[in-house]
Amino acid sequence: MRRTWVVLVALLLLAGCRANEDTWPQIESAGVLRVGLDPTFPPFAAADGAEAWGLDVDLARALAAELGLEAQFTYFGYDGLYDALTTGQVDVLVSALVVAPERTQDVAYTTAYFDAGQVLVVPTNSAAGGMADLDGQSLAVELGALGHVEARAWQERLAALTVATFGSADEVLAAVAAGTVDAALVDSVSARLYLRDHADSGLMRLDPPAVSEPYAAAVRIGDRTLLRRLDDALAALERSGQLEDMTRRWLGP
Amino acid sequence: MACGMFKYSFFPPRRMALRAGLCLAAVAALVLSIRPPAPAEIAFGPRQEVHTTTPILGVHTRLTDEVEPWKIQYTLRLVRQMGAPWIVEFFPWAYYQAEDGSVAWDHPDQVVGHAEANGLRVIARLGYTPEWARPPDTPLTYLDAGAYDDFAAFAAAFAARYRGRVAAIIVGNEPNLSFEWGYRATTPEDYVELLRAVYPAVKAANPDMLVLAGALAPNLEPAGSPWAMNDLDYLRGMYAAGAAGLFDGLAAHAYGLTFPADAEPEPELLNFRRVELLRDIMVANGDAATPIYITESGWNDHPRWTMAVRPAQRIQYTLDALDYAAAHWPYVKLVALWAFRYPAPTRSYPDYFTLVTPEFVTKPLYDALRDYSGNGDTPRS
Repeated sequence: MRRTWVVLVALLLLAGCRANEDTWPQIESAGVLRVGLDPTFPPFAAADGAEAWGLDVDLARALAAELGLEAQFTYFGYDGLYDALTTGQVDVLVSALVVAPERTQDVAYTTAYFDAGQVLVVPTNSAAGGMADLDGQSLAVELGALGHVEARAWQERLAALTVATFGSADEVLAAVAAGTVDAALVDSVSARLYLRDHADSGLMRLDPPAVSEPYAAAVRIGDRTLLRRLDDALAALERSGQLEDMTRRWLGP
Repeated sequence: MACGMFKYSFFPPRRMALRAGLCLAAVAALVLSIRPPAPAEIAFGPRQEVHTTTPILGVHTRLTDEVEPWKIQYTLRLVRQMGAPWIVEFFPWAYYQAEDGSVAWDHPDQVVGHAEANGLRVIARLGYTPEWARPPDTPLTYLDAGAYDDFAAFAAAFAARYRGRVAAIIVGNEPNLSFEWGYRATTPEDYVELLRAVYPAVKAANPDMLVLAGALAPNLEPAGSPWAMNDLDYLRGMYAAGAAGLFDGLAAHAYGLTFPADAEPEPELLNFRRVELLRDIMVANGDAATPIYITESGWNDHPRWTMAVRPAQRIQYTLDALDYAAAHWPYVKLVALWAFRYPAPTRSYPDYFTLVTPEFVTKPLYDALRDYSGNGDTPRS
């Protein structure tokens, strides 16, 4: 028992030491980028046995390759990701993390690589270009979800906006495809997956999202060199079209 | 910008001096206006009543770190308007009592005063040990036998101050978790010794104040785990250590996780009806007359947390849980949902337990509960 606490205290002290250290020389010399992820969130990361797959896995491998390193994955529960980073068990988290300004005393985020926010989905012949165009129309949302909260807020601005609720995002989108409602407000992952699996639905996703929820990779606050190199690598992946290809592969168009 | 321009003007020196003075005054006014104002005092107002068809409905508020009085007042008004007659709130001993014995009652006075004005019954969770009452380099949750009497004295003072305004005190929180027990091995015997100190002290100060034990953290940790002791084993251990008669009610945490409200309880499963297993242990120990207060409960609808459900399920399961408790659990006096609102977002799964956002936007579950308690047609103010 006593030993457990000694280990815990040592880890905490280690965390304090590592937080402000620029560990790029050690990473570069090891030739390995230690990546932490939670493999329970497909299609970003899931695992069949020891082998992980998903957008975050592909992205982490591509980032490591840009840095001249090999990605080495360690799995954690979602609750334990940030602790794993701050205690130095991994160098970077690539795990569909929403940028959290409250955490920026301890961690730094890369530029966002995906926006998982709420998007409008409308028929391809719709004239609507955004939420403000929906006055007098009907909007479908998933009961109780963030899209529902956002839709109610818009009802206070658009007097003739009708909101219809459904039990799941797929039901919401099916209602728009069937023409029973004019538009849907759902999270961008659900929208993309539905459009991928229903290519003949006659629907399209409107960018940018009505509510943004950026995903980014996270490093310890002291790892300024790693952060800069990851941002450069992300920019390179975006320029080359690889980021878009990866996103389409896992999430559809 | 305007102040920087005067040197280029053609005003004579005296007028320039006057302008400079005015500019300095303007800068001073600007600085003063930028400084955050002291929080405005908010009057409690006339006492309101909670109109509800659901007398067991409550919420665990998170006002401990809420410093602005208007937010405390508005939170509690929203609770009343939702039709919940109960709140559970944390009052940290460490925040209030100095080593010289003096107690800063301002914040608890605000919370209790606004709750009372809104007709709400308050259950006060007491915990967190002041630095002066624990060894150096120990966490806030560290409370050893050497400070039991100090904690009991604070609990007694709290009970006396809020006589008739606070219904019950919970002694600590989830003492079967090592984290909540100062990162030490947790034993039911130690906790019963704490109850033995607190119970008579509170009763002597205010015989009407209910003393609740627990609430135990539901868990399936194996025997000997450094992290926690199984809640059912812990409760059995409490009775074996003589806990009967040292608490007026058992506080319980009843989370549904991924299961519907009516899912059968099993010792190797964590779900809403695990409360029935606690009840069985109480009955087996001759304590059937002691009620249970569920001080934390609910479902989470985070899109990726493995213990979460879909938002629509969360609404349905929550309403089903209230139905189930009212129909089947006469010994349960309260089902309080965790958590009403956080002062700031966590940007992670805990946000998906709440009923109201930090910006006071009510979520659909809030409205569903408002309808459920018979307040759907009542305009909010």
